[in-house]
Amino acid sequence: MNQAQMNIRVGVFFIIGIALLWITFQALHEGKFNAKDGYEIIAPFQSVRELKSGNEVRMAGVPVGTVKAVRLANGRAEAVLSIKKDITLARDTVATIATSGLIGSNYIALEFGSAASGNLAPGDSLRTREVPDFNKMMSDLGDLGTDIKAAVAKIGSAFGDNPDGSPGLISNLNSVVSENRAGLASTIGNLNEITTKIRAGEGTLAKLINDPAAYDQLLAAVTEIKNAATEAKNFIGETQSIIADVKSGRGAVGALIYDETTAQNLKIAVKNITDITNKMNNDESSFGQLITSDALVRDAKATLRKVDRAMDGFADSGPITAVGVLANGLF
Amino acid sequence: MNRISTIFDWLGGAVVMAFRAFRMLPEAPRIMKRTIEQALHGGYLSLPIVSILSFFIGAVLALQAGYALQDFGAKQLIGTLVGEALVRELGPVFVAILVAGRVASAVTAELASMRVYQEVDALVTMNIPPERFLVLPRLLAALCYMPVLTMIGIIIGWIGGAVVCNYVDFIGIAPAEYFQSVKQYLTTTKLLHGLIKAEIFGFVVILIACNTGLRTRGGPREIGFAVTDSVVYSLMAILSLDFFITKALGG
Repeated sequence: MNQAQMNIRVGVFFIIGIALLWITFQALHEGKFNAKDGYEIIAPFQSVRELKSGNEVRMAGVPVGTVKAVRLANGRAEAVLSIKKDITLARDTVATIATSGLIGSNYIALEFGSAASGNLAPGDSLRTREVPDFNKMMSDLGDLGTDIKAAVAKIGSAFGDNPDGSPGLISNLNSVVSENRAGLASTIGNLNEITTKIRAGEGTLAKLINDPAAYDQLLAAVTEIKNAATEAKNFIGETQSIIADVKSGRGAVGALIYDETTAQNLKIAVKNITDITNKMNNDESSFGQLITSDALVRDAKATLRKVDRAMDGFADSGPITAVGVLANGLF
Repeated sequence: MNRISTIFDWLGGAVVMAFRAFRMLPEAPRIMKRTIEQALHGGYLSLPIVSILSFFIGAVLALQAGYALQDFGAKQLIGTLVGEALVRELGPVFVAILVAGRVASAVTAELASMRVYQEVDALVTMNIPPERFLVLPRLLAALCYMPVLTMIGIIIGWIGGAVVCNYVDFIGIAPAEYFQSVKQYLTTTKLLHGLIKAEIFGFVVILIACNTGLRTRGGPREIGFAVTDSVVYSLMAILSLDFFITKALGG
C-alpha cells in the first residue's frame, strides 16, 4: 500500500465520519444549533412542569420552533421559545403546555390569534393559559375521596344513635313505628277497604277508574272546555286587536278618544247646535217666527189665494192679449 | 508493598509518558506520515468490525427492548431506548473495547517487540525520543479516529435497530416512526457527551497500550504477557472510567 492510497483511505474515513457527525447534529432538534434560524419569544407560565429545552413548539400541531430555555424570572417561570423565521405569530396567540401521549414529552401548543391584533416582535411575551396539572388533578381527586368518606361516615352516624346517647334516626323511626302501630294498622286497613271498593266498582272514584263511559264523558267535557277556551282566546285576541287599533288612534273611536282636535270640533259643533236651537225657540228671529207664529201662515194662505185668482184671470185673457200685442206690433 | 509501588510506578510512568509526548506536539508535522498510517490502521481498517458489531448491538437491543416493552404496551419507545443507549453508553464503550482488542493489542505487541529487540534503545541512542516517534502518532491518531468511529458505530447501531423494528413481526414499527422516536429525546448535548467519552477511552486505551509495550522487559514470552496485560488493563480502565465520566458529565 503506497502513501497516496493510504492518504485517500484515511481521508475517506474522516470525511464519512465528519459528514455523519454533521448530519446527526443537524437532525437533532435543539435550540443551540437552530437558534440562528429563528427569533425569540417569551412565554411566562405559573409552572412549566416537565417542559425542557429542546421540546417542540407546535402551532395547531405543526412544529414551528423549539423551547430554547426554561428559566425563572419576575417570580414566575418563563419558557424562551425559538420560532422559525418564516412563521409570524399574532399578538393574541395563546400558548399552553400540552403533553403528547400519557408518558410522552411536553410541548408548547400555540393557538391561532387574529391577524388584526398585529404580529409579535422578537423578544415579546406571549399570552399563556395554564392547564390543570395531572398531579394537581390527582390530589384534587384524593381530596374528593376524603370528602366522600366523611360524608358517608356522617350518613352512617346519622343512622346510628347519637354519641350523647339520644336516639338516632333509625331509633326514632323505630319508636315512631312502634308507638303508632295500631293507628298505622287501621290506616292501612282503611286504605285496603277503599281499594277493594274501587276495584269492585263502587263510588265515584271507582266509576271514574273502571267505567269507560265516565271516561268518554269526561273526555267530551274536556274537549268542549277546550273548544270554549279556544273561542275565548280568539275573542280576546280580536278584542285586543281592536283595543290596539283604538290605542294607536286608528278608526272613529280611536280618533274620538285620542285626537284632541276632534274633541275640540265636537265641542264647537255642540255649541253651535245649542245656539241654533236657542234661536229657533226665540220668537224674534225669522225662523222662530216661521215656527212659532201662525200670522205668517195666514198671510201665505191669502197670498196664495190671490195668486190663484190672478192665474185664473191670466188664463181667460191670455190668448187675446197675445194677439193684441202682436197686432200692436205690426200695425 | 512492592506490588503497590509497582502500580504507582506504572501509573506515574504512563502520565509522564503522556506529558512527554504532548510536549512534542509542536513537532507534529514531522510525524504526519506516521499519524496517518496509524489512523489508517486504527480507524479505516476498524470500520468493518465496528459496523458489524454495532449493527448487531443495535439489532439485539431493539429485539430485547421489544420483548421487554411489549408487556407495557410501550413499543413506540424502542427507538428512544436504542437511540439513547447507543449514544450514551454502548456506542463509546463498544468501540473502545474493539479498539482495545484490535488496535491496542497490536500497538503493545509492536512496541514490546521493539523494546525486547532493543530497537527503542537504538532510537534513544540516535536521540530520537520514542515518545515522539512511537507514542505521539498513535495518541493523535486515536484522538482523531475515536469520535468518527463512535459516530459511525452509533448510526449503524440505529440502523440495525430500525431493521429489527421493521422486519420482526411482533414489533412492526416503520423506520420513519422509529427514527422519529430516536430523535424525540436525543439532544446534541447527549451526543456530545458520548463522543467526549469515546475520546477519553481512546486516549486511555492507546496510552495503556504504549506504556505496557514500552515497559516490557525480557524476551518473546514477555511480549505475549504484555499484550494480555494491555488488553486487560484497557478493559478495566474503560469500564471503571465509564462510571466516573458519566457521573462527571451528568448525563
